[in-house]
Amino acid sequence: MATRRGFLASLLACTSLPTLGWAEAGSPAFLACAGAQDGSFSLHGLRDDGSEAFRIALPARGHAGCGHPTEALAVAFARRPGAYALAIDCARGTVRARLTPPEGRQFNGHGTFLANGAVLATSEQVADNSDGVIGLWDVEAGFVRMGEVPTGGIGPHDLRRLPGGQVIVANGGIATDPTDRTKLNIDTMRPNLAVLDPLGDGVPEITELGPDLHQASIRHLALRRDGTVAFAMQWEGDPEVIVPLLGLRSPDGAITLAETPEAEARLMKGYAGSVAWAGDESEAAITSPKGGRAHRFDATGRFLAAVTRPEVCGAASLGQGFMFSDGLGGLVAFEDGRARPLALADRAWDNHLVRI
Amino acid sequence: MRAALLLSILASPALAGVDEAVDQHLLPGVQSFAEAAEALARTAADDCTAGAVRPALQPVWDAWVAIGDLRIGPTEAGALSIAFWPDERGAGARALKAMIASEDQAGRDPAAFADVSAAARGLPALDLLLGDPDLSGYAAGSYTCDLVRTVATDLAAQAEALSENWTTEAQALTTAGEGSNAAYLSDDEAFRAIYTQILSGLEFTADTRLGRPLGDADRPRPTRAEAWRSGRPLPNALGSVEASVHTAELLAGAPLPKTEAALDQVRRAGAAIRDPSFQDIEDPTARLKVEILQQRIRALLDIVEAEVGSPRGLQPGFNSRDGD
Repeated sequence: MATRRGFLASLLACTSLPTLGWAEAGSPAFLACAGAQDGSFSLHGLRDDGSEAFRIALPARGHAGCGHPTEALAVAFARRPGAYALAIDCARGTVRARLTPPEGRQFNGHGTFLANGAVLATSEQVADNSDGVIGLWDVEAGFVRMGEVPTGGIGPHDLRRLPGGQVIVANGGIATDPTDRTKLNIDTMRPNLAVLDPLGDGVPEITELGPDLHQASIRHLALRRDGTVAFAMQWEGDPEVIVPLLGLRSPDGAITLAETPEAEARLMKGYAGSVAWAGDESEAAITSPKGGRAHRFDATGRFLAAVTRPEVCGAASLGQGFMFSDGLGGLVAFEDGRARPLALADRAWDNHLVRI
Repeated sequence: MRAALLLSILASPALAGVDEAVDQHLLPGVQSFAEAAEALARTAADDCTAGAVRPALQPVWDAWVAIGDLRIGPTEAGALSIAFWPDERGAGARALKAMIASEDQAGRDPAAFADVSAAARGLPALDLLLGDPDLSGYAAGSYTCDLVRTVATDLAAQAEALSENWTTEAQALTTAGEGSNAAYLSDDEAFRAIYTQILSGLEFTADTRLGRPLGDADRPRPTRAEAWRSGRPLPNALGSVEASVHTAELLAGAPLPKTEAALDQVRRAGAAIRDPSFQDIEDPTARLKVEILQQRIRALLDIVEAEVGSPRGLQPGFNSRDGD
């Protein structure tokens, strides 16, 4: 068995080759991390029909990835508290760069490319106090750290590039122990959504949801082409209290919180793990692996129906509808009001399915 | 190639148990529940006073606990408004008392009643209305009498819907792994779905049905038992365990001698309990007997895992256990 160091050394050996596009990587539509029963972890490129475009071994459990807009280049992030990210040449199956956060910073599992792929923005926190920063990396120079800007909140998680070039960050609000995932401030947490231009003035415009939702950690984001952001939350408060787990932020900043019928709301167990827009953008969906279900809402936040699947967590747009991935290895399409099985892998899909 | 073929041949008789569990336990169980709930609604329609309705409630509970812990498919959401329990905040009692105080029209209209809080519907609502001394003395023609009739009618409608929706779920479970089945992508998933519910039902009975009234060692909480006003704490615990074992045997498709022996221990421990409502557990001897029942159910759970799950290599979940 290869050691982790040996694994990285062998892959890092070939870094100065010309870049290749996604077609050379088998034309994947999605990126997903997975764990196998033998304890190994991997990053996968998946096509619309659920078939595998490529598979690359990872040294440890991954969380999410992000795909470069043009090159067959994906960045896979370790789980929180993340000590590494790998920039992977998906066509060659090699590691282009290993990203390590600067001293005193931790990756928080998500990132996105900016400036047509010239810059990588990473969600990070200051290890000591969980203050959020966006780390900025020069992609063409080989993922050299360019700098960082504060996110205007604590414990940032997902982040997305808005159509105007700004970035929206889900500041989850949860301070964690620097060495593990222990939550330190559940009583006083204050999550927010922050919009900022990390390559410009970097001043964040902050939206909070109000005191009764201060324990609803805003963690994941999905962007509609018109700039409407669907955000998914995880409730850290009294489990008997039912709160919205999906919110919509319109391009003018107005917030709509989605309501769900009581029984279905309870079955989500206060937890939304991913959020996605349907391919035709008429619906948004959130997933709850704890509840074994995805909830679909129309574009105004009105509840439509549940799609049940054990340990479903990954969600992304597919065709007019969605693709969901789950911890049993399943990939399920949902279109035209019905679910359709695509594939069943002998591995557990991790939390996210990322559309390239 | 040969090894893979051998595995699939060995696996098929065991997995065929999904069909048996569905056809011989779940479907007839859901049907019996719907019939019992319908009989209850008819009884309440004739005479909604507590003394008349109470006897018809018992068979509904018996039918419910035979299927209610197998929270798969429509039972998952359905259970919340059929048997919302535990109600940690007393939301059901609060809502029902408020409805009575204001003579809320929803209490006389089963369609409108379907929109009230889940905690105020179904079996726990009837336990309160028919069993609470302050509420159950209502007269024929009173608001509370109408409310009881409405709760019973709503419960029957829920049971009927559950039964209808189970036709679809049964189809999904028994065609697991077939082309268009998006609910269960393999035989193994259907097996696992039922198996998981068997275990969580046993765990719920030990930890909550018994654990909640047991409370702390120095402070038993008898009125935290499930449907204690209707005498249901012990029959619900035992009925649920019997249903779990029956389902496990059908699912395994083979005799489970160790599980049977452990079930026998559970039955003996249950027979030793004097008050089926657990209202005597402030007495240390009575409390001890409920604790022994709890231990026997936990032992049974371990044996089901060893006899049914372990041989098939079933493991706990991946994403559901650790969020991000």
